[in-house]
Amino acid sequence: MQVLFEKVNSKEEEQAVIKAVEITDEISGAIELLEGDSKSFAVSKDDKVYIIKASAVYYIESVDKKTFVYTKQGCYDCKYRLYELETLLGGYFMRCSKSMIINLKKVRTVKSQISGRIDATLLNDEVVVISRGYVKEVKRRLGI
Amino acid sequence: MMNKLKLWLEQTMMISFAIFVGILIEGVVYAVMGDDLANFNLTWLQLLSVILTGALCSVPTLFLFTEDDRKKSHFMLKLVLHFIGLYAIVSIFGFIFKWYVHIDGFIFITVIFFLVYAFVWAVTLWFHKRDDNKINKALDDIRDEE
Repeated sequence: MQVLFEKVNSKEEEQAVIKAVEITDEISGAIELLEGDSKSFAVSKDDKVYIIKASAVYYIESVDKKTFVYTKQGCYDCKYRLYELETLLGGYFMRCSKSMIINLKKVRTVKSQISGRIDATLLNDEVVVISRGYVKEVKRRLGI
Repeated sequence: MMNKLKLWLEQTMMISFAIFVGILIEGVVYAVMGDDLANFNLTWLQLLSVILTGALCSVPTLFLFTEDDRKKSHFMLKLVLHFIGLYAIVSIFGFIFKWYVHIDGFIFITVIFFLVYAFVWAVTLWFHKRDDNKINKALDDIRDEE
């Protein structure tokens, strides 16, 4: 597919137009990636509801059937289940263990442990674990 | 299940290869000590015994790598048990397949075992390091600015 890039002067002017015969898996993936940052969803904290952008999320964790969303500003409750958020967010959001979704764009560095799991240090210096079983998917998402 | 099978096959190939390297070192050592290299040969039964040992030694590895290793101390304990388990398998198979007859042969097998164990871990850690570098490089391209 031919790809054209045109420089614009402001964020507001940014847009992507895809011209294709049909929507293939690759095109769906590209759309997911491009839309990733603009997606938003509802969370709550202290009985107040907030709409947060997906790009603000570091990771999402499920504890005792409750879902918690972690951002730079703090931790929020979320009514969605992990599998729903995984589908909703897509792109660089992926499962890193049975109870956690990680935003790969917020990972500063990774380091493998002797046990085969990977410790991922996030931009907020928190360390989350990428389980052995999900390492292959991490590589696939990153195009390795 | 498929991941476990893949891990078992990978480990079987790696351990078998490492044992063959060990046997090669054994041949070189004996040659240096003055033995005739023409007498150094491998029978089909020895080849089969090496692969069989590799396959069996890979089984404890499946229990070593599980998803519940949150604590490093827990994994290190399993690693010690893994080492002892593998040493027992090699010693018993060595006795059954006549890899050694006398105590000096057993000592030699022990030394080779230590070397093979260290080699397999060295290769595994090297793979980890290589993967870390690849992932970190890929992350550099997509990371958000804060």
